[in-house]
This record gives sequence, C-alpha cells and structure tokens, in this order.
Amino acid sequence: MFRYLLRRLNLFLATSLVMIGVLFYATGLFPVERTFALTGIHSPTASQLIQIEQDYKLDSNGFMQFIAYLQQRLSGNLGVSVTSHQSVTEELGTVLPASFELAVMAAVIAIGLGVPLGVLASQSQHKLTQNTIMAITLTGYSVPVFWLGLYLSLWFGVDLGWLPISGQLNLLYEIKPVTGFMLVDILLSDSEYRISAFKDALLHIVLPATTLAVLPFTVVVRSTRSAMMNVMNQTFIRAAEARGMHTNTIILRHALPNALIPVLKHLGLMLGSFASYAIVVEMIFSWPGVGSWLVSGIYQRDYTVIQGGILAVALLIIFLSILIEVLHTVFNPLSRKDLYASN
Amino acid sequence: MPLLDVRNLTIELDTPHGRVRALEKVSLTLNAGEIHGLVGESGSGRSLLARAILGIPGPNWTITADRMMWDGNNLMAMTSKERRNLMGSDMAMIFQDPSGSLDPSQTVGSQLMQAMPKNPKAYFWQKHKHAKLTAQKWLHKVGIKNPQKVMSSYAWELSEGECQKVMIAMAIANQPRLLIADEPTNSMELSTQAQIFRLLSQLNQLQNVSILIISHELETLAQWCDHLSVLYCGQVMESGPTEELINQPYHPYTKALLDNMPDYSGIEAHKAIMPTLPGSAPALQHLPIGCRLGPRCPEAQKKCVNQPSLSHLRDRYFACHFPYHGETTNDDPTA
Repeated sequence: MFRYLLRRLNLFLATSLVMIGVLFYATGLFPVERTFALTGIHSPTASQLIQIEQDYKLDSNGFMQFIAYLQQRLSGNLGVSVTSHQSVTEELGTVLPASFELAVMAAVIAIGLGVPLGVLASQSQHKLTQNTIMAITLTGYSVPVFWLGLYLSLWFGVDLGWLPISGQLNLLYEIKPVTGFMLVDILLSDSEYRISAFKDALLHIVLPATTLAVLPFTVVVRSTRSAMMNVMNQTFIRAAEARGMHTNTIILRHALPNALIPVLKHLGLMLGSFASYAIVVEMIFSWPGVGSWLVSGIYQRDYTVIQGGILAVALLIIFLSILIEVLHTVFNPLSRKDLYASN
Repeated sequence: MPLLDVRNLTIELDTPHGRVRALEKVSLTLNAGEIHGLVGESGSGRSLLARAILGIPGPNWTITADRMMWDGNNLMAMTSKERRNLMGSDMAMIFQDPSGSLDPSQTVGSQLMQAMPKNPKAYFWQKHKHAKLTAQKWLHKVGIKNPQKVMSSYAWELSEGECQKVMIAMAIANQPRLLIADEPTNSMELSTQAQIFRLLSQLNQLQNVSILIISHELETLAQWCDHLSVLYCGQVMESGPTEELINQPYHPYTKALLDNMPDYSGIEAHKAIMPTLPGSAPALQHLPIGCRLGPRCPEAQKKCVNQPSLSHLRDRYFACHFPYHGETTNDDPTA
C-alpha cells in the first residue's frame, strides 16, 4: 500500500511538473515584454527591473530560468494582477473558496439525487419508469450548459422572479470574510441580519448549483443504474436473499457499496469536463469564483491572472483525479487484489 | 409427515424463443433428518428446483404446483415476506460458487456477523462482541482452524473450500431444518470435496439438519445420501432409497447412468469408446413431447409420447411406462 501511495505521489509530481513546464513555455509566447508577462508590473522602476531579473534569472539559460520560475511560483509568488494591481495569490484566495462552495453544493445535489434515482431506475420493473428516467438523463446529458443556464435564469429569475440570477449575496449584506466560504462566514459573523443573509445566500446558490449539477447528475444516474443492474445479478446477492435478508437491506449493505465503486471511477474520468462546465456556469451567473475571474482575466489580457488561474485549476484537477483513484483503491478491495499481484 | 412435500411442480421460463417448460411435473418428498441427493446433468433444472423450493425465483419464472408443503404449511399460499422469513431461519442454501457468494467489498467476518442469530438479551454495546464470538464459534465448528484470520480476510483471499465452509457456517448458524446444497463441491479438489461432504453429514447426524444435495456425480451422492432422485431434462425419472436404487434401478435412465459409470478397473481397451446413451440432452427450446428421455431411451415405444405419471412400488418412485421391475428383470438379458 505504501509503495502504491508513493507511486501516486510520484505521478502527481511528474504531471504537475510537465504542466508547469508547458505554462512556462507559453509565458514566453505572450506578445508582451517578458518581465511584464512574468510579474504583471507594467513599467517597472530600475530597482524593480533588477529585482525581477534576479528573481527570474533572466540573464541565464532557459533551464535555469525554468528553475527560477518554478521556485517563484511554488513559493507563492504569482505576480500582481495587471488590472487590479493586487497580488494574484491573494485574489486566488478569495475566488477559490467561492468556486469550492458552488462545486460542493453541485456535488451534493448530483450525488444526493442521482444515486437514489439510479437505484430506483435499476430496481423498477416497469418499462415506462425506466424509459422515463433514461430519457430525462439523456436529455440532461446532451443539453448545452450555456443554453440551460440562460433559460433557467430567464424562467426562474426573470419571468417568475423566484430566485436571484447573479452574484453570491445581495449587496445589502456586509459579511466579513473569515474562511472565504460565504455560507460558513455568514454563520460565523455576529451580524443581526445573519439569518436573512444566510437565506439570501442559499437562494443565490440554487440556480448556479442546479445548472452545474445537471451533467454530473445524469452521469451518476446512468452509471449507478448500470452498475446496480450488474451487481444485482451476482451470486452474493442471491446468497444474501437465501439468508433471508430484506431486499432493502441487501441493496444498502451489499449492492450499493459494490455499485458505487464504478460510479466513483466514472466521476473521476469526467472531472475535466466538470471543471470547464463550472467556468461557463460561473460566467453565466456572475459567480465570483475562479472561472469568471479567469475568463475576465483573459478578456483583459491580464497575463499573470491567466497563468495563476490555469496553474491553480490544473493543479486541482490533477490532484483530485489522483485522489479519486486512491479513494477507488481504498474502497475497492478487489483493486487491491491486483495491486498485490503486481508487486 | 414429510418435512418437504412437492407435487407436480412446473416451472416455465419466458425466453426470447417463447415460453419454455424448464421443469415439468417434478415431485419430491424429503423427510426430516435425511440426506436427499438430486442427481442430474447440468441443464436438467436442478438449480431451478432448489431455488423454487427456497423461494428466490428469477424475474421471468412462472411456478405452478399441485402442492408445496413445508412441515404442514402451504408454501404456495405464503406471501413473499413470510417466505423470506422462512429462508433465514428454517431453510438455508449454499451455492456452487462459494467465493462469488460472498460480497467482495466486505470482509468475511462482517458478513458472517450479520448472518449470526441476534441475542435478544444482549445490550446494544454487547451485540458486536456477541456476534463476533458466535461467528468464531461457528467457524470453528465447520472446521476452520484460524477463525480470527479468516474473519479479517476478504473472500478473494480465501480458497474455495474455506469460502464454502464460511457459507455453510452462515447457513447453519440460525439452525435451519433444511439445508439446500447446490453443487457444494464444484471446482474443488478431491480432499476438500471429501471434507465438505463429511462436514455436511456430520451436521446431519449431530444437528439433525435435513440436507438436499444437488450434484451430477452419482458415485459421490450414492456414498453420502439416504435417498436419491434422478432428474433428466426437467422431469423426475426415478427416486428412492439409495441402496435399492443403485442395486436395482427401475428406470432406463438410471440404469444407463449406472452402467455407463467408468469402473477404473483397467479392463477396457486403450482408447475404447465409453458406453453412453446415444444422442445428447435436448436444448430447452426443442424438448420432445411425452417422456423427455424418449428419443434416447433404449426401451422407448409408441406409448412414450405421453408423459408417464410417477408410479410407486413400496418406497420406490419411477416415471416410466416400461420399468425394469423385479419380475421383468430376470427376463432382461442385459441385466
């Protein structure tokens, strides 16, 4: 097991290194002054210029420059934003939690609704129920997110007026950021409007989270269903029945744990597309997260923000996919069997 | 009163080729405390019969029977919930694929502890320990030497024999009165097979568990069973006490099975053709009418296109129009 974890860590480091290498190469291709692209300082003073050349070793060869670049980036120096003149690291610190909040909500919706519905679809004997669920998930799978997001905000936000369509919180409320997670911060604050602010924040998150949840939800339903159908035909389910266990107990204790393992794998494979979905959703609902921050950075030719955003998002995706693979191994004793065999 | 009494059980399967009678008018009587063997080729519907008796039918089955009595209670009239309750406590079953019968994602111990009978007197904080101790006790009883290690392993870390012992422990922990063993020793080496059979017969003697063993090995069954039923293509050919049945088969199929058994005495010439019945067992879509052995039967006549009903001579039952009776066997040159 230790050897396995070491190899996964190795994989993470190697992939990240390649990714940073590509980023370093791309930085050189920006159609601006190299010092500007690296630091975001538009017209540096003489002393700043010397400092930059020292930091990034601009007078040595490419390899040494990459080492210096790596050193700067890994120590948290992502330069300053061209437009806001603030440190990119600090800006990342404020936008990342907002994205996390949205992603967690979407994941809760997708898994919380998707798994029961998938189980239901696999257990139902009626062709009609099965086909209905399959038709709905196929529609959800194929509908483009930008269209869906716009129409949801048009229907529920504009026409019906039930839900707010942009932002994270109404401007009326002033909440001091502590953790960066809005819902947590509201509960932590001692404002007298805490409860109504919390309600408002919840209302704000409904539309973006639902839109973002549609794709993972359909993936979860479909893969849960197929995995459950597969598992329910196996001998150990027959054996559990023969022991007189109740069908619900069998599903919860034996079928579902085995069925969720391939679901986890599916989700891990789709992580990249979920991330690009999240960027589009954040743009549509002006959610102050990494996605909209990155896209506005791209619009404004904010080279340091582009680098910082890509670095953060790519590192996260690499980390999460490896984490999911490790979790898959932890929860699936059968994959450990292969592991023993290979070592 | 017999423990289990099944009369004219018919199972029809809905297949893409239409409805098929996989089991036709099968009768089976099982007395308390006996070991009953069910012999048949693969595909003869032995497992279907076992699952129908236990009450875990597949989704495309239609089961009809004149009578299905369990200890004086009508199984046909019970709701599925009552059947399920019966399964855990009075009837139990072990399967032919023991390692596949255990959940691969849970340790053997946790599954075993779930199957252990609950102690109503224990407080909830004692329940875990109690279940663990009972599980170890039962593992010890079925002949597993290191219960602790087996309980913390996963099913794929154990051998087939060990898995089958675990399955037996689970099945008998609730002290059932009938244990259905569906090819319990399939894919095991001979010494393990012997261990499992010895264990089953011990259970029968010590706990008075009735056992229904399903197998295709007539020799092995003849060694361990009190009664035998011979199944061919979903029809009962013959059933009766093992000794009498082996010594003097009434039915041509049983006789063919016994005659064609290789005796390993080495008298046969090298590469000699082994004697078998001509032809092979028909596919379920192309079943012959009447007695299904008809086309292959050495004694078949015109009358055999009607299915013979199960007739009996003392405690022997057979379904044949032309049985090898006591009187006729003397004239039979092949006997």
